[in-house]
Amino acid sequence: MAIGTGACLGEVILRVEGLHKRYGKDEVLKGVSLELRRGETKVVIGPSGTGKSTLLRCINQLTVPDKGRVWLGDAEITHARTNINHIRAQVGFVFQDFNLFNHLTALHNVSLGLIKVKKMPKEAALARAHEELARVGLAEKACSYPAELSGGQKQRVSIARALAMDPKLILFDEPTSALDPELIGEVLEVMIGLARGGMTMIVVSHEMGFARAVADKIIFMEGGTILEEGTPTELFTCPRCERTGQFLRKITELYGETSER
Amino acid sequence: MEATIGATNVLWQSLGPFFSRGLPETVKITALLLCLGLVLGAVLGFTQVYGRRPFRYACVTYEQIFRGVPPLVMILVFYNGFARSFHIMLPATMSAVLALGLRSAAYQSQIFRGAIQAVPPGQMMAARALGMSKLKAIRYVMLPQAFRLAIPPWSNEYSGVVKDTAFACAIGVAELTRQAQLAMTRVSMVPDIGSRLILPIFLILGMFYLALTYGGNALLGLLERRLRIPGFETKGKVER
Amino acid sequence: MKRNLLVLGLLLVAVSFCAVSAAAATFTLASDTTWPPFEWAGTDGQFYGFDLDVMRLVAILGGYEINIVSYGFDIIFDDVGIGRVDIGASGATITPDRVLKADFSAPYWTSNQAVMVKADSGLNIATALSAGRKIGAQVGTTGAKWVQEQLIDKGINVELREYTLYPLAVLDLVNGNIDAVVQDEPASRASMAADARLGIVGVIETGEQFGFFVTKGDPNGLLAKINDGVQQLKASGAWANLITAYMGGAELSKIEAAWKAAASFLTAKDVVGFAQALATGATAP
Repeated sequence: MAIGTGACLGEVILRVEGLHKRYGKDEVLKGVSLELRRGETKVVIGPSGTGKSTLLRCINQLTVPDKGRVWLGDAEITHARTNINHIRAQVGFVFQDFNLFNHLTALHNVSLGLIKVKKMPKEAALARAHEELARVGLAEKACSYPAELSGGQKQRVSIARALAMDPKLILFDEPTSALDPELIGEVLEVMIGLARGGMTMIVVSHEMGFARAVADKIIFMEGGTILEEGTPTELFTCPRCERTGQFLRKITELYGETSER
Repeated sequence: MEATIGATNVLWQSLGPFFSRGLPETVKITALLLCLGLVLGAVLGFTQVYGRRPFRYACVTYEQIFRGVPPLVMILVFYNGFARSFHIMLPATMSAVLALGLRSAAYQSQIFRGAIQAVPPGQMMAARALGMSKLKAIRYVMLPQAFRLAIPPWSNEYSGVVKDTAFACAIGVAELTRQAQLAMTRVSMVPDIGSRLILPIFLILGMFYLALTYGGNALLGLLERRLRIPGFETKGKVER
Repeated sequence: MKRNLLVLGLLLVAVSFCAVSAAAATFTLASDTTWPPFEWAGTDGQFYGFDLDVMRLVAILGGYEINIVSYGFDIIFDDVGIGRVDIGASGATITPDRVLKADFSAPYWTSNQAVMVKADSGLNIATALSAGRKIGAQVGTTGAKWVQEQLIDKGINVELREYTLYPLAVLDLVNGNIDAVVQDEPASRASMAADARLGIVGVIETGEQFGFFVTKGDPNGLLAKINDGVQQLKASGAWANLITAYMGGAELSKIEAAWKAAASFLTAKDVVGFAQALATGATAP
């Protein structure tokens, strides 16, 4: 059952209005809008190639949208004069392929942003990095290099790296899709802990168990637009769109349900 | 038997100038030209990856010209060409260093370009996603990795360049090959055995270049090992 | 461009500095030190040779210093001519086209070309230079030019093989790759003395004359000093001693040893003493 944090929703952290993105002839985003409040966890689901990842990347401008506007709090991200680096430092991003810095230990992966972007003194940054690694259960791997870690460990370090920056929200781009089945659990565990702890998150994922456990809202995207948005209960029991129901049934069939913790 | 001892003696004596003049000169030219090539090559390689289009085209043009001209020709251009056309008389050593260095820059730019492009693009994305500026991302994430990837092909460039310095003997630089020519002349005048000593002189010369090439590569290998990231092998390497 | 101008500027400053302090003036002298007995490099790197010692003594007499650099023969005239180097002393025959490039001193040596073959080849001067023969010479020398102009251009079908270094031509001759080598007589005699398998079958009386040369226009005023110096050496007997030492067919190592023994005279600027000691040492039994 969804617990979420619906009772204590805060102010609007993220607002997306009318995002359009085209790659050549392919229009991947056909006018997507959404809102995210502090403490909310929204999970985006949908068939592959419907622009879910593109949506996330357009939020922190890793991909620049053709049309549309995005606000982080009061600051308009898409405004020409915005310092995008400043914005990105407040928006965490967890990649499907982890993208840990290969030449640095786990500890330095986590502390690099603190030292170079937040200009924290080295001692303080390393101490904080230790904390975050401990939070994701990897304190003892601080001196290991990414190549020495398993997939699940890499992703957890990646999450620690995002957390260390004290972001206003974290974007997860299919965080478990590249992992072996046995390793998915440890990552989801961390993410569930974050959600329950009040972190503001958007997660693109197929993990229905996770969605049902902690999502405040589930967003169903297809063909570049949002078809439906609702609580897990709503979508699973009485979806408004035929398509939504179809998709959910197929997903549950294929992936099964991860047991709740 | 006596002749052999005599020959060995002469050959042994002839080693002196090789070491005291030829070797330092060759090492000096090699070091200077590689530095020039490194700095300029890094700038060119960098610009080719990150620069705006007109700058990229300029880099490609430079690279085509300086890779397409043989080393000796390039040296003569700087030595004779500049003197005749512009009345600028560059000293012989400087001509060699400039000619070979600018040429090396062209090759090195390709090495660095390849190395930068070999770093997975996700690295850049993750760095930018943290809020790093492009420059910071390049400096702290891309370059450390590109540098490691660049070492094997760079040792190739080193090996080639060491031998190119031999062309400087044509304009009178007292490097290894010129020393060999002088030594060869002298030993060929030793009565009776002179003509048989010529080949050994050139073999000695070859060994010097071999030692330089081998020594330099050994040092680079050491550097590579010290910078090695545990578990992360560069493409094609065999783990020891 | 800026760096070159800076270098040029520095060079000009350095040169003018040298010119101003005339007492300590140093000039660069280029020589292709692969041509015993006129110039060669010993195994210890020291430069020996008739040309070089003459120039050293002339420098003492003229009150300046010289710094000897070893150059390939084919580029010496260009480089001395344009002033990259100040003086050239390399057994150079005075020819019309060379005179266009650099300014020559009065002739100091008369030479002929020798035709050298393998002693057991049974060739004489006529057969050695006949059609079908392969003849070696050093590139850029008057010997090579003679073969080209007097044989090939006149229809005698010989193959001219040119070598960057004279000893390489001799090597090819010894190995049988060529039939003859055409080269100035003194150098040929020196080669013959070192290798009993060689023989001179004839001398081509070209009567060519060697000269020292300086930058076109003689900006440093060296020609006068050189010509005067040579006259003084001849008058004092030092000239004859140098000839005895270098052209007497003595073995190179003997000459080198004598030179080292006589070197103290050079530092003491004793021109006559040096030449005498050298001659004595070189000809001692």
